[in-house]
Amino acid sequence: MKGLAPLFLGIFGTFAFSWVGLTLIPNWQIGHLNPQSDEEGTDIYPMPQSGMVQWGAHVYAANGCVYCHSEQVRADYAGADIERKWGDRRSAPRDYIFERPVFLGKMRMGQDLANIGARAPGEETSPSPAGAVPAGASVSGGTNPAASPGATAGAPGGASSGAKQSTSPAAAQAQAAPSVPSASPAPQSAASSAPSPPKSAPGASPAATAVASAGSPPPAPPSGLASPSPGAMGTTAISSGAQPGTATAPSSGPQIAGAPWPLQTVGLPPMYSAAWHHVHLYSPRSINLDSNMPSYRFLYHTRRISDARSADALQLSGSDAPPEGWEIVPTYDAKCLVAYMMALNQSHPLKEVKSAGAAPGASPAASPSPASGGQPPK
Amino acid sequence: MNPAGIPLKEPSVSAAAGDTEQFERALIDASTRVPVLIFYTSAVAWLILGTLLAGFVSFKLHTPDLLSDVSFLTWGRVRPAHMNVMVYGWASMAGMGTAIWLMARLSRTVLRYPLLLVAGAGFWNLGVLLGLCGILLGDSTGYQWLEFPSYAAIILFVAYTLVASWAVLMFRFRRGEQIYITQWYLLGAFLWFPWLYAAGQLMLFVVPVQGVLQAAVSWWYANNLLFLWFGAIALGTAYYMIPKVIGRPVYSYHLATIGFWSYALFSSWTGMQRLVDGPFPAWMVTASIAATILTLIPVATVGLNHHMTMQGYFPLMRYSPTLRFTVFGAMSYTVFSLVGILISLRSVARYVNFTEASVAYSHLGLYAFFTMVIFGSMYYIVPRLIGREWRYASLIKLHFWASAYGIGLMTLMLLAGGFLQGFSMENPSLTFSESVESILPYLRGRSLAGILLTVSHFIFAYHFGLMLLGLGRKSTVPTFLNPVEAEGAEAHI
Repeated sequence: MKGLAPLFLGIFGTFAFSWVGLTLIPNWQIGHLNPQSDEEGTDIYPMPQSGMVQWGAHVYAANGCVYCHSEQVRADYAGADIERKWGDRRSAPRDYIFERPVFLGKMRMGQDLANIGARAPGEETSPSPAGAVPAGASVSGGTNPAASPGATAGAPGGASSGAKQSTSPAAAQAQAAPSVPSASPAPQSAASSAPSPPKSAPGASPAATAVASAGSPPPAPPSGLASPSPGAMGTTAISSGAQPGTATAPSSGPQIAGAPWPLQTVGLPPMYSAAWHHVHLYSPRSINLDSNMPSYRFLYHTRRISDARSADALQLSGSDAPPEGWEIVPTYDAKCLVAYMMALNQSHPLKEVKSAGAAPGASPAASPSPASGGQPPK
Repeated sequence: MNPAGIPLKEPSVSAAAGDTEQFERALIDASTRVPVLIFYTSAVAWLILGTLLAGFVSFKLHTPDLLSDVSFLTWGRVRPAHMNVMVYGWASMAGMGTAIWLMARLSRTVLRYPLLLVAGAGFWNLGVLLGLCGILLGDSTGYQWLEFPSYAAIILFVAYTLVASWAVLMFRFRRGEQIYITQWYLLGAFLWFPWLYAAGQLMLFVVPVQGVLQAAVSWWYANNLLFLWFGAIALGTAYYMIPKVIGRPVYSYHLATIGFWSYALFSSWTGMQRLVDGPFPAWMVTASIAATILTLIPVATVGLNHHMTMQGYFPLMRYSPTLRFTVFGAMSYTVFSLVGILISLRSVARYVNFTEASVAYSHLGLYAFFTMVIFGSMYYIVPRLIGREWRYASLIKLHFWASAYGIGLMTLMLLAGGFLQGFSMENPSLTFSESVESILPYLRGRSLAGILLTVSHFIFAYHFGLMLLGLGRKSTVPTFLNPVEAEGAEAHI
């Protein structure tokens, strides 16, 4: 090649082409989205994040959560995300307009977290702007220890959760009721699950069934739920056997909340509640034996109990429990991190995206009705 | 375009003119000694540190409780620390060292303004060190390959400006009209990188774009860094080393032209395929997938060109360490691109998008392709800077085989494991933990591969250290991997 001009021009030209094409034009196209609202200007989604949530995002980045967890739900034709109950509709650009940084993620050594906040049992601690899901739902999901996908499907189906609800706000209220019945399907589903592979800890199952609160929405503050008896906690292991990780509750309906990934265990705070997240961060394998997540104990203090146990002390059992007279409490970073997770909630419908619930055809199992619970995973 | 114009057509030490030329070259080499060795030494130090971090990351991934109670040793911090040390500490510094040397040689002029480079290396090291500490202390930004906090990024940028301005100055003082292929790639790399880095920093941190676009910019940055910075340096180096070692001009200048421009055009448009089916307008992803497929053109032309150049000279790989590493790297470029195309297709990406397969892909690009080519160039360049030959052929052989088997095994493990993980993840009748469990055995295999790579890097560092201490062989003949049986065996086989 003779002559510098063509070389330099070419070098600049090719790169400018890519820069304009892949960053500037998209920025022009989707870089200035506003929140959506209904005609009256209410029901705004998404909402700006609170300060704690923003700091939580920083903690999330600092500790590299993004290297194992994605925060995006693909459309039903593009992956099994919706079937795994990671959301009931695909994620859209508008879901992320207030997030900075955005953690779409590119690896799933752990669950997708796009809707982790939507799975929370009650309002309580969740700072999520969108207002999360009504209680009860997730809990019921937890019911069956068998953990098998089928099982989970059953319970949750009934209980259905937030996501679904939110899809159609009106429906939301209705759902509360269904949750109760969910108790019954659970057993069957458990049975059906038998063939399923989970290596649940043998003894674990039936006894363990924390089942618990299926019917009773526990809006109580997390710590309030404090589990019953320490003795019970021992059983935790069980749940883990159940193989939660599996979240995947494969089958059914759009209920996110129900998709128990780790199952509800006796003695633990309701799944996906803030208190539960703290226990999980502190000791992932006390909740799910097969979890591959490192523990984040450095986000917690151990301290002597001065007067009374503080409200946010972790409810730990077994070998994780602090010695008598001591308690383990989250640091501010841990609280922010959990606040951040509780705020992850894409269950609000978006005009530009059709929800799976709205399209029954999407996946057979996904059919919207609570009844769907019974369907076996395909 | 007559091949005689290509400076590489080497009159192998015959004519009297050859003597002047050799003398001149020796002068140029000597002038590059200090800056290039500074870059190389720092790079090797970072390589060792990065390797240790990598081993730690790899083991922790299947043994999550290992040292997880210490905040700065948690997996989520060590992993970005490893990646950034490798990308900015090892790969960039070694790449710049090689690029500086090549630039001086090809400009046929002694290196001017060495202080610019020395200062550049100093600042660069400082930047990487600060960035590393920042990540370990919890200041990571969370964007792939841009994790360094802003205070480190600024220092890196200053350092880079020093190096790049040097490169452009050198280019201005070049002698001879002909601009050799390698110089296209190097100039490209030197000019693309600052734009890329500045654009990435500006659009993510200074004037952040909204929402998901941050992810798009971050992938655009990461992919272009891989192609336009590392890839361009490695290809440029291969275009120099292969013809140089075998003493034969590049097969076709036209092919090289096509290869270069199609490379610049298509590979710069890749990146969005990593966001397949994410919350983006479909055209972005589709454009990148199309561009990825079109990279077949540069792959084919560059590959063909190298192959035809080597035609008949492959047996030389038995002797020349440089040639062996470089050819391995050049072949890996083809494999790297083919794997890239495979995992970008929508029907495949659906399964492997969120799995370890993408890690295999980055390692193919950054290690099997780039790092191997750079190792090759270091085996060529270091003796010319120090005036000693590599001491032990056996160590070079060990280094090569441990690296080659290590990276081969790692890629296979991660690809196979990634596909398996992806298939179980896309099968909702399996629980999610089963998808994670399905890959654990492969991750253990990967740790094994990591041990091989660790061994190879320690061997290399030891050997390099010997050279630095002046303990190389005094000889006029380069170190061959195997004894050359017959006189002139290296000339034609």
